[in-house]
Amino acid sequence: MKKSTTIYNSRMKMADLVASDIGLLSILQRLNIRLGFGEATVAEVCAQHNISADLFLMICNIYSFRDYEPQIETLAGEDISSVTMYLRASHNYYRTICFPSLHNNIHRMVKELDDISRRLIDKFYDDYDSEVNNHFQYEEEVVFPYIEQLLNDSKKEHREYSISRFGHSHGNINEKLNDLSNIIIKYLSGEYASQLRFEILNEINSIGNDLLRHSDIENKLLVPLVEKIEMRYEQGR
Amino acid sequence: MNREGKYNVVLIEPSEIIATGISAIIGNNPQFNVTQTSNDPTYYNSGNSDIDIVIINPTVVDYNDRLDIRSWLGAGNTALVALTHSNYEENVLRQYDECIGIYDNAARIIQKLRNAIEENNKSPKNDINELSSRERDILAAVAMGKTNKEIADEFNISIYTVISHRRNISQKLGINSIPGLTVYAIMNKLVDMSDFK
Repeated sequence: MKKSTTIYNSRMKMADLVASDIGLLSILQRLNIRLGFGEATVAEVCAQHNISADLFLMICNIYSFRDYEPQIETLAGEDISSVTMYLRASHNYYRTICFPSLHNNIHRMVKELDDISRRLIDKFYDDYDSEVNNHFQYEEEVVFPYIEQLLNDSKKEHREYSISRFGHSHGNINEKLNDLSNIIIKYLSGEYASQLRFEILNEINSIGNDLLRHSDIENKLLVPLVEKIEMRYEQGR
Repeated sequence: MNREGKYNVVLIEPSEIIATGISAIIGNNPQFNVTQTSNDPTYYNSGNSDIDIVIINPTVVDYNDRLDIRSWLGAGNTALVALTHSNYEENVLRQYDECIGIYDNAARIIQKLRNAIEENNKSPKNDINELSSRERDILAAVAMGKTNKEIADEFNISIYTVISHRRNISQKLGINSIPGLTVYAIMNKLVDMSDFK
């Protein structure tokens, strides 16, 4: 288990960081960090954009190294807003880019299938789609507002939510994506449109990987940070 | 097993020195009998059901095939033992029933062969990817939306057995969610689409 930032650090150039794992571009995009940073270091770019460099590096580490465990002690409560900003942007990216494209491709693929398989895959995907949307919506309408309220209003006595509930209701939305991938790889017969199928499988794989990172950021950063604040209020009362 | 009740062993190892050494150690034991040694895994004849143990040095296998050694070798029910000169990743070695290192002494090697036979008997690997007829019935019930309790009552088995069947089904198919299992069940005509209207 990697204990702390081993590869990425705040003194390195932002351009070098991105070059070491091009997937990190999606993080910059979601945090609204503009490209064209010249020779600026990670610390400098983060300061310009008002984001804690520690937090930024933790997100990058979680993204690049799945066994990385962030040490949240160095983060301040206010850093949570950057995390929720990141998560909202990430939802937006899934909702407006990834899933519509996957949906469109699946829609094209099932046209070639027999009637039963078409209806099955269509229904499977539609159910999955609404499950994912419900999940995002729940986070955006219940969890994130709760966190924002927690940050702004310390005296609120009657909080009806607690982040511990988030852990429980936080279903694994990757499972069905894996199932769909296996169904296409193993069980969908047919000689048509195999190029399209490869594209779909690649898309599923890349969305799946991103979703894994996304939930790592929720579980390893968001939940512990919010728990820390909840505890402070509990004790302060 | 051969007629004298000895376990038949095939050894696939590129180093002649090591192959000769291991064969001598195994040959000295009354329980085991080395029937072939070879440096070429394609030489292994998977159709020969008399073979009880294949000892193979993982380096003779292409890297990508190492992760599914049993089906690559066509080893079916045979116990598989890795013979290693160096360290391997865990997911390579996990597929073997045992692992012999070149610094193991004779007693330890023989002990490991016995372990391998025992380990292999514990989990029969034949038709690993085919669902048994019981599993197909249970999958159909899962697809129809029945709960574990309902399935247990229907088949007169315990809930734990149902859970264990479901785990095996998901492992074999690579499908975990109920909607995914339903898609599989209908596509393979284990249940009828009309049940879902």
